[in-house]
Amino acid sequence: MKKEWGGLVFEPAPLTDLDKRGVEAVKPRFTRRQLLRASALASLGALAAACGGGASPEQSAQPEPAPTEALEPIPGVPSERPRAPINLKEVPRNRTLIVNYGGAGGQFTNQGITNPWAIGFNHQEGNALLWEPLFYYSVFANREIPWLAESGEYNEDYTELTIKMRQGAEWSDGVPVTSADVKYTLDTLIENDALSYHAQVAEAVKEVQAPDERTVIIKFNKPSPRFKFEILSLKFDTGIPILPKHVMEQMYDVVAVPGDDDMVHSGMFNTVQTPQQKVFDLREDWWGFKTGFQKKPDVERVLVIPISDMTTAAQRVVNNEVDATIDMRPSLIRSVVEQNPKIITHTGRQEPLGYVDWWPNSLWVNTQLPPYNNPDLRWAISLAIDRDTIDRFAFNGVKLTTIFPYPEYETLKPYLDRVRARGEALGVGRFSLEESAVRMQRAGFTKDAEGFWVKDGQRVNATIHGFEVIHADIAPILVEMLRRGGFEASVNFGTDAFQRMVDGQPGLYLYGHGGSLIDPYATLELYHSRSSQPTQAGIGGSNRFSRYNNPEFDRLVDEMSVIPPGDARLFALFEKAMDIYWGEMIDVPLIQWLHRIPYNTTYWTNWPTQENPYLNGAFWHYTFPLLVLNLRAAA
Amino acid sequence: MQLTYLIRRLAFLVFVVWSAITLLFFLPRLSPINPVRERFAELQRSTGWAPRDLERLVKVYEVKFGLNKPLHEQYLEYMGSLLRGDLGYSIMRYPRTVGDLIAQALPWTIGLLTVTTLLTFAIGTGIGALAAWPRSPQWVKGMVTPLVVLAAIPPYLLGLLLIYFVAFRAKLLPMGGAYTLGRFAEPELSMPFLLDVARHAILPALSLILSTVGFWALGMRGMGVTVQGEDYVTFAEHKGLDLSRIFYAYYVRNAILPQVTALALAFGSIVSSGILVEYLYGFPGLGSLLNAAILANDFFVIYGIGLITILAVAVSMMVVDLLYPLLDPRIRYTRA
Amino acid sequence: MELALDPHAPVTQPSQLTLVLRYLRRNPSLVVGVLLLLFLVGFGAIGSLLIDTSTRAYPLAAPPVQPPSAQYPLGTDRDGRDLLAVMVRGVLLTGAVGLMAGTVGIVVGTVVGFLAGYFGGWVDAVIRWLTEVLMTIPPLVLQVIVASTIVDKNKVTIFTMAGVASVLAWMGTARMVRAQVLSLRERAFVSMARLSGMGDLEIIFRELMPNMLPYLAASFVGAVMGAIGASFGLEALGLGPVREPTIGMTIRWAVYHSAIFNQWWWWVLWPVLALILIFASLALINRGLDELANPRVRRTE
Repeated sequence: MKKEWGGLVFEPAPLTDLDKRGVEAVKPRFTRRQLLRASALASLGALAAACGGGASPEQSAQPEPAPTEALEPIPGVPSERPRAPINLKEVPRNRTLIVNYGGAGGQFTNQGITNPWAIGFNHQEGNALLWEPLFYYSVFANREIPWLAESGEYNEDYTELTIKMRQGAEWSDGVPVTSADVKYTLDTLIENDALSYHAQVAEAVKEVQAPDERTVIIKFNKPSPRFKFEILSLKFDTGIPILPKHVMEQMYDVVAVPGDDDMVHSGMFNTVQTPQQKVFDLREDWWGFKTGFQKKPDVERVLVIPISDMTTAAQRVVNNEVDATIDMRPSLIRSVVEQNPKIITHTGRQEPLGYVDWWPNSLWVNTQLPPYNNPDLRWAISLAIDRDTIDRFAFNGVKLTTIFPYPEYETLKPYLDRVRARGEALGVGRFSLEESAVRMQRAGFTKDAEGFWVKDGQRVNATIHGFEVIHADIAPILVEMLRRGGFEASVNFGTDAFQRMVDGQPGLYLYGHGGSLIDPYATLELYHSRSSQPTQAGIGGSNRFSRYNNPEFDRLVDEMSVIPPGDARLFALFEKAMDIYWGEMIDVPLIQWLHRIPYNTTYWTNWPTQENPYLNGAFWHYTFPLLVLNLRAAA
Repeated sequence: MQLTYLIRRLAFLVFVVWSAITLLFFLPRLSPINPVRERFAELQRSTGWAPRDLERLVKVYEVKFGLNKPLHEQYLEYMGSLLRGDLGYSIMRYPRTVGDLIAQALPWTIGLLTVTTLLTFAIGTGIGALAAWPRSPQWVKGMVTPLVVLAAIPPYLLGLLLIYFVAFRAKLLPMGGAYTLGRFAEPELSMPFLLDVARHAILPALSLILSTVGFWALGMRGMGVTVQGEDYVTFAEHKGLDLSRIFYAYYVRNAILPQVTALALAFGSIVSSGILVEYLYGFPGLGSLLNAAILANDFFVIYGIGLITILAVAVSMMVVDLLYPLLDPRIRYTRA
Repeated sequence: MELALDPHAPVTQPSQLTLVLRYLRRNPSLVVGVLLLLFLVGFGAIGSLLIDTSTRAYPLAAPPVQPPSAQYPLGTDRDGRDLLAVMVRGVLLTGAVGLMAGTVGIVVGTVVGFLAGYFGGWVDAVIRWLTEVLMTIPPLVLQVIVASTIVDKNKVTIFTMAGVASVLAWMGTARMVRAQVLSLRERAFVSMARLSGMGDLEIIFRELMPNMLPYLAASFVGAVMGAIGASFGLEALGLGPVREPTIGMTIRWAVYHSAIFNQWWWWVLWPVLALILIFASLALINRGLDELANPRVRRTE
């Protein structure tokens, strides 16, 4: 029953490896050869380092020293499957899409993790090209795109979803994709608590049936009008792909297998991955081409290369070495566009040179921890922030500051417009140090000799915890504003910043929402009291830093959860919820998050833009295949 | 006598290595950062999305990695697995194994850093020695200062400047990476590949050399100056020995001792010294791997790479100790 | 000239000052180095008096990204810091970090190295064990752990950063000093001193120290430079005092905002120039000290 997987040998775990909870303890299973190879290399390195042996880059560029080839297989241990040297076929530059994204410190460390259930898996660095969902959803086009499914219909009260599978879809080994794969995928998510979608699926789904090869029926525990969108549809960074039952079932532990370059998948690309590049080559035999579901794209190869320094990434785009890269700082995107006339963005070559992402940032606090538990103090912080100055300094004068914890998408606009006036009337977004002072005095604070607010001899700890790569635009400016308002602010960009947010420690957390896309429910859910564990529990780790606890608010959220998006009843509930959000200033809404992605049109055209918003342009999102299908080779 | 010394020195080496491994085991455990949660944090930072019941999930993986057990038990287990040659899994990149990550990165670091360390040592020591040599022309004596000043520019900035002018503006050399993208599926042993690698290594190597050569020169000049006053050098000069003989045999040989120590240490610490340059140039070596692991507090990767540096540095220091008496006749083995 | 002609004139000893000046003329490195250092200190000190660095060196003090002008002689950065004020404060702060960490490193390193090298035995064994163990562990691990656990995140100052930077600054010095002492103590003059009844401390300070001075001076310069470099490393990791306008942070912000690529040259030039001046003055002083400590090497031209 021993199974091989991409060079690693996997065998069903012996029972002794299972602890009482039935969770398998992790034990690396090396083949002896790999072990020897690693240790030979390690000792070789130490030796060379110690003796100063003159290994030139030429010699050491050889990744697998020859001696290991001579090792005899150990009896009883299957030897590593011989791997033929891989030869990349020649693909001309104008058929190759090169994107610069991801990696850790200038190299990929997750190369070969192609199994979406491994926690080291990352769909953002090209792996989205390997896996397919039942549905895609383009939020910008506000359109559902059935993929492995042909259709998905809810019953009247949203307690049952019937999915019809597309005819002709098949895995890369030729096995058809059927309802059994969908059932397997969902069942495993329900059973295996090591999977990240386990909680959401297990909570919602009562039972999955596959009455025939092309039909899946999902029965829910309660009305779940958002399940199809939130879980079964891939959009942005969320949703689940469908995995091959016949392959996954043979793994001794579905989270413990990397997958490697040759994992059976259904997507239209094959991959070869090393720390320096991930190559994705178009599959001539992809089911979508065979069935006529999609036309062959111009893109024959996608190269993903890791980012080290953002300026270098910019220079690579300008020199036409890469076709698109990560979203850039406002100071950078403008000169990128200026230095190469072929480069465009979502808004062409005009400011704001990007589009709004789903991640509006707030200053969050732990609302259970004094003194932040006082809404007056949170309001005082909001009133001390001069949002116009932020726009002027940090964003080239583009108005990005916001009073919403929502991205201003077309899909959400009707809701936001409904409450905008209420927010402004309340004074959200206003800058007034006087009003801020009134609030602080009401909260029992006085100013000390240095002009900082104190209560019981304690200043307000206003250290802003954030992330240098993305927050260094505005954090230093915010600090000065808060200090002028009497809050002892500083910045923590340390590696421990996130942990401190999760632990609910004193201070302000600069962070986004990642909630709603097509209706206001998901963001409000972040403030539901089920996430309001005591301070130390660290539950805040999923954007739920507020630990907000308000039964009245919970009731509104619970009520909304069973009402489908678009239903008129949502508006009134949303109004009430926003009155609480703003009235209590649960967090201090700050800025919309802009994706400033440069698209180089030297080799590729038909990028998604304002005029042609078929997608959001983030190629690192799950919708990457849709982008690839739409790109056209430049004439 | 020498054999006893050798045995004692070896025992000391083992003791040092064990102590260092032990210390390194406990160090990252002091940090508030939990690598399992950090993996989901990373996911959340890059995607905006996080599992709804993150804390339960963190616990599940803590059990999987054995992190829920008492620390001393974990320590014993780790030492046990080390003895079996098992470095464990990366937590951030589970199920990639540490051994696998290291095996892919190590050759790059050794290749780039050995060559540059040797070059830097040779150039720096040479210039330093000449600068301290009384018979050198004035401009040679003054060369150390500009080199030190060059070292004043932070290596990262120096690298950015090189990339900007040499690679981006002049387009003379690649901006980064270890070999041309899309041309090779994976590293191979062929002439075109090796030449390609060499071309990609020029700028990183230059960054490393420029930013450290001044320190070597400074150190050598400091020592050279001390040796000059010594009687044996004066004596040799008066005896009318050949100048180049005096320079090498009397002067350089006596002054170079601390430099050799430093060289051995530099070899030991090539992993650490390559971090910034590897990162900036996207050179897939151990340094940038270690950097990423430290930032995420990825225990087993830190331990694995740490093990390499521990062995490398400890062995280098032993080699220095053993070589010392050969280089400096004034020291005997008995002084252990 | 006159003096030499008149044999009866009293032999006037040249004053101390004259002697010093005469010496300095023969040692231009030292002069230039010290002058540079004085210039930097003066720039910081006088600048602090003339400019309100407590506000102007921080964000929102000026319009963003202004090239040098009459109003802002060195220009401004993207967050609206006045770069003149930044440089005034940055030179002082960075100099202070370098000096503090460098001094701690060299003093601890020398003491430890001497103890080990001179006394040998178990003192040496313990010290060697400790230094070797600490040296084998990747320095970044130690620094990050120390900085992220011991230092209070809300109160990171240049002092705590100097402390972290000096955690590792002493080991190299200690090891090399030990090696030197081992070499020196075998020499004839030490044996002579011991025979003539000198005590350990006396031997260390009167016989060994002078021989070590040029080396220590070089080490000190190295330690200060190393400490400045280490502080840059910490700042790059976000473990420094992020709000303070040190030179390291200034460069960090310039890099973050791609100042080179955006051709905001003034934002890169001034901090680099300041660093070059700091390092140049240290290197020149170091060179001058060599000559001072080792008269036989005095330039003979």
